[in-house]
Amino acid sequence: MARFTVGSEVRARLGDPDGHTRVPRYVRGHCGEIVGLHGDWKLPDAAVRGTLVTEPVYAVRFRAADLWGHGGHDVIVELWESYLEEAAGER
Amino acid sequence: MSGDHSGHGHDHGGGDGGHHDANIAARVRELEAQLVAAGQITEAELEAILLEGWSGSPAHGAAIVARAWADPGFRDRLLADGNAAAGELGLEAEGYLLKAVANTADVHNLIVCTLCSCYPTNLLGPSPGWYKSFAYRARAVREPRAVLAEFGVELPDSTQITVWDSTAEARYLVVPARPAGSDGLPEASLAALVTRNGLIGTAVV
Amino acid sequence: MGGQTGFGALPQPGAEPPAGADWEAHVRALTYALMDRGVFGGDEFRDAIERIPPAEYLSLSYFERWFAALEILVREKGLLDGAGG
Repeated sequence: MARFTVGSEVRARLGDPDGHTRVPRYVRGHCGEIVGLHGDWKLPDAAVRGTLVTEPVYAVRFRAADLWGHGGHDVIVELWESYLEEAAGER
Repeated sequence: MSGDHSGHGHDHGGGDGGHHDANIAARVRELEAQLVAAGQITEAELEAILLEGWSGSPAHGAAIVARAWADPGFRDRLLADGNAAAGELGLEAEGYLLKAVANTADVHNLIVCTLCSCYPTNLLGPSPGWYKSFAYRARAVREPRAVLAEFGVELPDSTQITVWDSTAEARYLVVPARPAGSDGLPEASLAALVTRNGLIGTAVV
Repeated sequence: MGGQTGFGALPQPGAEPPAGADWEAHVRALTYALMDRGVFGGDEFRDAIERIPPAEYLSLSYFERWFAALEILVREKGLLDGAGG
C-alpha cells in the first residue's frame, strides 16, 4: 500500500546512513513532488544486510533552483518510500 | 582529475583515473584462475558469458523509437508501459522498469546515473565511456545545458530540460522528437535516424 | 557524485574503444558468473564499489572499480579460503 500519491509534496530524508543507500547526496533534505509511482522493489539498504524489504519506489521531481540555487531544469530521481517524508506546504 | 589524457593513447570504459594498472590483465587472469581452482565458478560458465557478449544494442532502442514515430497507438502504449511495448517488438526488457520519456517541442529529456552509471545494457548494449565518466555523472544533473553544449546540442531557452537520475530500478529510454522531413519514411529508415546518443538525450536526431 | 564540481570537460566521444579491452570483458564475466551462482547480488556489488577508498575510487577506471569490488567481495566472503592459493 503506497503511502504517497502523484502530486504529494515530499522531502528526501537528511542523514548519512552507515551502509549502502540509493539516496543521492544532492537531494537529501530537499523537497520535491511525486510525479510517478514506479512499483515495489527490494530496498538496497536492507538487501546488503541480507534482509528482504520491499517498498514502493517513487519518481520525485526536484527543481534545479532548489537544489543548486540556479538553473531552470528539473531533476527527477527515483526514491524508495523510506527515503521520504511528508512536506506539504513547505516549498 | 578529469583523466581525459592518461597518456596511454587509449581509453578504458570509464576514461577516468590518471594511471591505469599495467598489470590489470594479469591480475584479472590470476583471480579467474583462483576462483575456478576454488570451485567458485567454472570455465564453462565464464565462456558462456563471454561468448554471449552484449545481447543488447542501440539498434533495439532505435527500433522502438521508429515504431513509436510511425504508430501513435504504439507510442501511447510505450509511454504507459515500456516493458510491454518492448515485448511487442520481441525485445526483452525484464527485471527492471523500462520507462520511455518523450522529447517534444517544449521538453528535452536527459538520462544519467549519478551513483554508478546504471544504463539499460540488456536492451541497448554497453554504455558509452562518457556516460560512465565522473564529469558526466557530476555535471548532468547540475548543468545540463552546458553538458549538452559539449555534445553540440543547443536548445532554445524556452525548452524545459528534465534530467532523469537512474537511482532505482527504472532504466530510461529517450524518445527523440521526430526530425522534420521524415514523413513517409519506412520504419527501417526511421530507425536508421536514431542514434545511441539520441536515446540517452545527448543528441537531437 | 551528482552536482560535484571540478570534474572538467567530458571525455572526447571518439576516444573510446569499440567494445572495451579483453580484461574488461573478463571482469564483467567474472562478476556475472558469481552473481548467477548467488554468491552476491547487485546491491552487494554496488556497495562494495562504494566502499573502495575515495582516493582509489577516483583514480580507477570503470571496470577497474568492478575488479576492485570483486577483490573486496572475494576477500570478505572467503571465496579463496582453503583453496591452497
